[in-house]
Amino acid sequence: MRPALVLALCLLTFGVLDGALLWQSGQRRASWPVRMGSAAIATAAMGLTDLCLATEARYTRHPAVSDSLAPFMDHPGSLEHFPTGSFWAWPGENQKEPTP
Amino acid sequence: MNRALEKQLNLLDYTLASLRRRKLKNLGIMIVFAAVIFLVASFQFLTASLTATAQDLLAEAPEIVVQKMSAGRQEALPLSYLAKLEGLYGIRTVAPRIWGYYFSETSGANFTILAVDPALMPKGDRLFQALEGKLPGVGQGEVVLGSGVAADLNLAGRRSFSLFRPDLTLKPLTVVGNFKADTDLLTSDLIFTTPDAARDLFAIPEDHCTDLCVYVANPREIGTIAKKIAALLPATRIVTRPQISQTYRVVFGWRSGFASICLLTALAAFIILAWDKASGLSAEEKREIAILKVLGWQTGDVLLLRCWESLTVAGLAWLLGCTAAYIHVFWLDGELFKPVLLGWSVIHPQLKLLPAVAAPDLLLIFTMSVVPYLAATVIPAWRAAIIPPDAAIR
Repeated sequence: MRPALVLALCLLTFGVLDGALLWQSGQRRASWPVRMGSAAIATAAMGLTDLCLATEARYTRHPAVSDSLAPFMDHPGSLEHFPTGSFWAWPGENQKEPTP
Repeated sequence: MNRALEKQLNLLDYTLASLRRRKLKNLGIMIVFAAVIFLVASFQFLTASLTATAQDLLAEAPEIVVQKMSAGRQEALPLSYLAKLEGLYGIRTVAPRIWGYYFSETSGANFTILAVDPALMPKGDRLFQALEGKLPGVGQGEVVLGSGVAADLNLAGRRSFSLFRPDLTLKPLTVVGNFKADTDLLTSDLIFTTPDAARDLFAIPEDHCTDLCVYVANPREIGTIAKKIAALLPATRIVTRPQISQTYRVVFGWRSGFASICLLTALAAFIILAWDKASGLSAEEKREIAILKVLGWQTGDVLLLRCWESLTVAGLAWLLGCTAAYIHVFWLDGELFKPVLLGWSVIHPQLKLLPAVAAPDLLLIFTMSVVPYLAATVIPAWRAAIIPPDAAIR
């Protein structure tokens, strides 16, 4: 078999696989609002402000409403030690509070 | 067949045969390259999906949250602030919330305990749709549990359990419902109860709450009302819905430490690879180019050959890396990144994320990986191809 044909078959396999993955992604996106309807109700009815991803530190459990500098505020000279602190970026300027 | 196309196909055939001759080396480069692309693409897909999921699920977060600050920290807020806010034109509802954390000594898990009167909240009358069971009743110490809390408490059919108050007396609680699995990304560590039960558990006085959720009549005025509240209530922190949304747009950014490590690792791997390639071709490769030129190949043909070679290796690595990254993030819930994303958390919610794979992300990964690799391999080939063939063979 011609080598270029082998490459073409290889690319076709990737094309079919990636096409199937993209189709599945589209299906998941389409069914998302239906599946997550109860999550939207929970957010509104309980006034939730954050996703429940990391529960080890308050600044990664509730980054939207906790102190943005909390990693260094636990005590004087305190250093960040929670592993999740290395995944989550500091919200920084985006948490600037409204001023009168 | 078109002559130009036939020429390209012949070149491709020769390229593939050439790659096959050095299959161990080329396969090694492709696998390492695919692994680097997999790492970067996994991070990109995961952060994009977390951001998209947060934007979607938190679209109905409180419009304004008011917290009282003292010495740089949040503290309980007096309910007398409610009366002050009632005088502000444009505010529709103000709902006091009581919430806090409870550390379980036995399992090391952190629970979030939240209490609010659903009657004061938007869609509060539909909260029962988010749970299996019933809503907690006032004065009865009833709670609804998130799936992570239920698994951690391991009640095994029992409905009663107790938590410690600050003075170490026990507060008895009764489970009357569980949040649905669909809400897991929001409620996994949540214990939802009534304000009186939460006050009792946290020993918060009757005339205080943790913070206030403020809803305005016109959502366009959120910023204006937030400024008015800040002027009216000094020593408070005001967090608006657009700020919450913006926080989740940046919190998983490339500047976070782990992303930097991923990107720097990828960059270092690429620099080593490019340096190895750019430092020159091997004597064998130079001789091959010289023989091709003696046989009548032009410099352009040699460059095309190298282009095909690099494009095949880098392109296949890109396809392999991106496909594996997609499967890793959306089918295997990002298992490799979970230890860093969740850290020491004892409660692990299911990461069923909204797939968010955008063409710009794929193009960015392609540009960062394939294009520099092409440049790093074609330039040395061009330098070798312009040397007279007899000099190269000698």
